[in-house]
Amino acid sequence: MKQTTSGQGPHPDLITGIAIIVVAGFLLLRTPDMPTMSSLLPITMLSTLIGLSVLMILRVFIANRSERFKAPRYQIFDNLPRFLGIVVAIGLYVAGVSLIGFYTTTAVMVPLVAWSFGYRDIKRLLLADLIFTGGLAIIFALLMGQDLPTEFFIR
Amino acid sequence: MYGSLIDALPAVLSLGNFAAVVLGVITGICIGALPGLSATMAISVLIPFTFGMDPLVALGMMAGIYNGAMYGGAIPAVLLRIPGTPAAVATSFDGYPMAQQGRGGYALQVSVVSSAIGGIVSAIVLMLLAPPLAKVTLLFGPSEVFWVAVFGLSAIVFLLGGDVLKGLLSACFGVFVSLVGLDSISGYDRYTFGHLELLDGINIVVLLVGLYAIPPAIALLEEVMDVDTSTAGRLNTTSLWKALPSMLRFWKTWLRSSVIGVFVGILPGAGGSMAAFLSYNEARRASSNPDEWGKGEPEGVAASETANNADTASALIPALTLGIPGTAVAAVMLGGLMIHGLQPGPMLFRDNPDIVFGFMWQFLFAAILLIVLGGALATNSFAQVLRLPRPLLGAFIITLVVVGVYSINGRMFDVYLMLGFGFIGYFMDKLKFPLPPVVLGLILGGFAEQNLRLALRIGGGDWTALAANTTSKVLIVMILLVILTPLFSRLSRRKKSQSTA
Repeated sequence: MKQTTSGQGPHPDLITGIAIIVVAGFLLLRTPDMPTMSSLLPITMLSTLIGLSVLMILRVFIANRSERFKAPRYQIFDNLPRFLGIVVAIGLYVAGVSLIGFYTTTAVMVPLVAWSFGYRDIKRLLLADLIFTGGLAIIFALLMGQDLPTEFFIR
Repeated sequence: MYGSLIDALPAVLSLGNFAAVVLGVITGICIGALPGLSATMAISVLIPFTFGMDPLVALGMMAGIYNGAMYGGAIPAVLLRIPGTPAAVATSFDGYPMAQQGRGGYALQVSVVSSAIGGIVSAIVLMLLAPPLAKVTLLFGPSEVFWVAVFGLSAIVFLLGGDVLKGLLSACFGVFVSLVGLDSISGYDRYTFGHLELLDGINIVVLLVGLYAIPPAIALLEEVMDVDTSTAGRLNTTSLWKALPSMLRFWKTWLRSSVIGVFVGILPGAGGSMAAFLSYNEARRASSNPDEWGKGEPEGVAASETANNADTASALIPALTLGIPGTAVAAVMLGGLMIHGLQPGPMLFRDNPDIVFGFMWQFLFAAILLIVLGGALATNSFAQVLRLPRPLLGAFIITLVVVGVYSINGRMFDVYLMLGFGFIGYFMDKLKFPLPPVVLGLILGGFAEQNLRLALRIGGGDWTALAANTTSKVLIVMILLVILTPLFSRLSRRKKSQSTA
């Protein structure tokens, strides 16, 4: 994990703190409807989350002015385009599993993702895909009798 | 008290249960050998697959993976100076220089023998300490159990070190997640937003898999990492049994490091890496030739590897007896127990002695199996694991977690939830929010709430009833000590530095 002393844009802790306050505040609004004892721990936890987030935000501001306090800034993405690619790939895979079926999507996506992210040995890739998807089919369909999202061609 | 220990042995020695331990050790070594993958991740991925299995088979695999991965981390640490697991960092200090001098095979043999010794000591301590501790905790009422849960939460947050503020935020997040679903006492549904799937609460496996398996899978695909494995397969090792006599001179280090590892394992929040560093430093201090350390001293490898395996089973002492997992792996293992309907804590010893004592035996056998499976030939073979292409591995892990989580309840909702936690875990990891407090919060949050409300009901709504007996008062003092000691030591350090300035 790379730690940078300076960086462009707002401090990640500041953004995180604000996000936590907004979400916790929204969830806190739902507690008045709950029975008193049921709302006890939710109110405590959400209020603590808000309080701690305020402290984290204050720490960022104080660290900007003082040498004594530190709020290290960490680099979030090692490679943003690749991260976005991974998000898209996972999204496509999950959508494919529910729409097309588990085994078909896996057989297509595993080599596609591995190839896209740098492994270009097609022969080994296809062999690994065959063994992996076949192995899953043996475990889930034959040994465990587990129903996975059905393939589109046998619905 | 120890009679159940002997009674549990025949079941553990049955073919299926023993094979599960063997398979677990082999899988653990392979996963530990892969930089970026850890025992925590491996066990999280495995848990959903164990649903249909006998609990002892599932737990045997987990015990095997845990022990195997702690040794497996030494393989890339020695051969490539890339620790396979965080606990193997100290192993690379002397292991890698040994590999450069052509003694990589011997370094791995020292690692495997030391790991086995650490694991064996740890398992024996677990067998000796857990049953009497469980007997004591059986006497606890709801108010004591509530304070034990609070102690567990505060201990892990404050002993984790680093950023206490972020540790607390992580723990609160975990506790909040435990509140989702039907309130078991009033029957009111909390934060389900109309989703029937959330009425039973968030399944711990969904959270564990998301937090611990998705971030490393993303990292495998995200980082372009060109690892030079050209030297990894050529170790030229002699037989382990021939090399063993030359290692007997490390007996003092094995003993000292085992004690350190076991002690660190019992402490909540401290893990294998802390045990390995402490043990390495102590062994170096006690050595007659400390200047040679860092240049290829096999005793350094022995110190680090003994300690990081000695904390494995001992980390389960607070987990099994009190339900407080001291490390992330212990937390994941508790999740594994829970999906098999086994509630960690003192009742586990009374209600399921065959399983809990069988689990302890499996830890012992897994440690012994390390020597058999991690011998010369196997070490050469495991080194080949480093050649696995990272993008393919990333794709495999994502597929495994999707199918694993789907198979829990046969619904895509859990998969979406797991991916949500996965991305939260990814950002938490990057922003240095510790993950173990989230899991601990989820396990202990509901547990604490239920016992708090029970204690209040018994006490007729009187809050002072929570601190009415001596045990509760002792626990409150311990909580205050855990919270205040780091704050006071920080203040005194600041005063010292100001006075020297």
